[in-house]
Amino acid sequence: MTTVMDLSNALAGAVERVSGWMFAVHGRPRLPSTGVQWRTGLVVTANHTVEHDREVTLTGHDGRSFAASVAGRDPSLDIAVLRAVVDGVSAADVADDGDVRVGHLVMALGAGPRASAGIVSALDVGRGRHAAGDLIAVDLTLYPGFSGGPLVDVRGRVIGITTSGASRHLQCAIRATAVTRLVEHVIRGGRIPRAYLGVGTQPVELPHPLRERLGRAQQTAIIVVHVKSDSPAAGGSRGRASARSGRRSGHDDHSARRRAAGPSGDRR
Amino acid sequence: MSALLAAEESIPHLARIADQLRQVTVEIRSPGGSGVGAGILWAPDLVVTNAHVARGSCVGVGLADERWIEAHLVVADRRMDLALFRIPRCGVAPAALGDSDTLRVGALVVALGHPLGLRRTLTAGVVHALGPARPGGRRFIHADVRLAPGNSGGPLADTAGQVVGMNTMIAGGLALAIPINDVGRFVASATASTT
Repeated sequence: MTTVMDLSNALAGAVERVSGWMFAVHGRPRLPSTGVQWRTGLVVTANHTVEHDREVTLTGHDGRSFAASVAGRDPSLDIAVLRAVVDGVSAADVADDGDVRVGHLVMALGAGPRASAGIVSALDVGRGRHAAGDLIAVDLTLYPGFSGGPLVDVRGRVIGITTSGASRHLQCAIRATAVTRLVEHVIRGGRIPRAYLGVGTQPVELPHPLRERLGRAQQTAIIVVHVKSDSPAAGGSRGRASARSGRRSGHDDHSARRRAAGPSGDRR
Repeated sequence: MSALLAAEESIPHLARIADQLRQVTVEIRSPGGSGVGAGILWAPDLVVTNAHVARGSCVGVGLADERWIEAHLVVADRRMDLALFRIPRCGVAPAALGDSDTLRVGALVVALGHPLGLRRTLTAGVVHALGPARPGGRRFIHADVRLAPGNSGGPLADTAGQVVGMNTMIAGGLALAIPINDVGRFVASATASTT
């Protein structure tokens, strides 16, 4: 009998808990977005909501305003890290997103606080320009102004950052581990490095006869369609060879990107 | 919301409060009107609904037991979008009322109404925000609950089955409900001025 009421109270409690770590981010005209204090003095938000050459201010849940500056950006994950002195605001309780399962009840929150509830609909979503495994697809409504806000579990722990800029087709959140990785890059080096090879690629399916001739089990490969001059790919003879042959039997597009990112998953 | 449909299967409590709410959710049919709106059985002889739902001084009220009775307007406030109607005592227990001032963002809520004519349909979600829809406007309960035409005038209730709001409009995909304490003040002043 009380289970549903307990769940309702838990959800409301989670909103109250998380709203203490949230800010309204004024980094674009009109509609403010949402940010989360990930580490003391570092606030994470959606990159597309913080315009270049614009003064950024944060408004806390108690109405206080703080000046902020952009400490790092990762446009491909649509995450910006802001630096701000926000006394009296604690850093978010970030959960291990490895525990997240498809079907879990989650909430997306926006500054205010505002809430939207739904379930995790898919894990390890990675399409287009995004690194595989950095996105969680969610079945909930991301309302205007939610971008950069936290995706939270029923205990009120942050498991990701929601942004409409992550995918054109899905409601998505950037996994907390990916966000933490970017924030730690900012702490260490003051910038978010990205891998850069300098090739344009096209994924293709390997026909069966070709797989047999090459003695490979893999279903797909990538064609190098373009090599940018003065890029790392243009520097080595292997890069030129694969460009000349026009076909390279490698792994699929995602794993190529992951290999470029290095064995630890860091992008260098 | 699919998560809550799953919750309803495993936890019979939600189904039970839905049954209670169906008893106090009435249909409102205005003379000459083609659509059906919703209303809340406030007292054994009083029904409250949105003013935009019940046009005219005499409307038809459909009860959950399929009875249709005639309702006469006590008072309507177009600005508040509220209307109070008197009905013959119907013998059905009226709605249990909650306190909309203690509602919290994130709390689970359910809405009952007749969306697109589907009678006494339950939809569920959470409280999205509390406050005005635009700066300086009146206070609403904003709920992340799917509504459609036919929900207007119907109850928004908490997980105890207590009515906390009256679903009034849809804005930006959100349900906007008049807090039930505001509805209570309207009914109190309406009944005080007419007795």
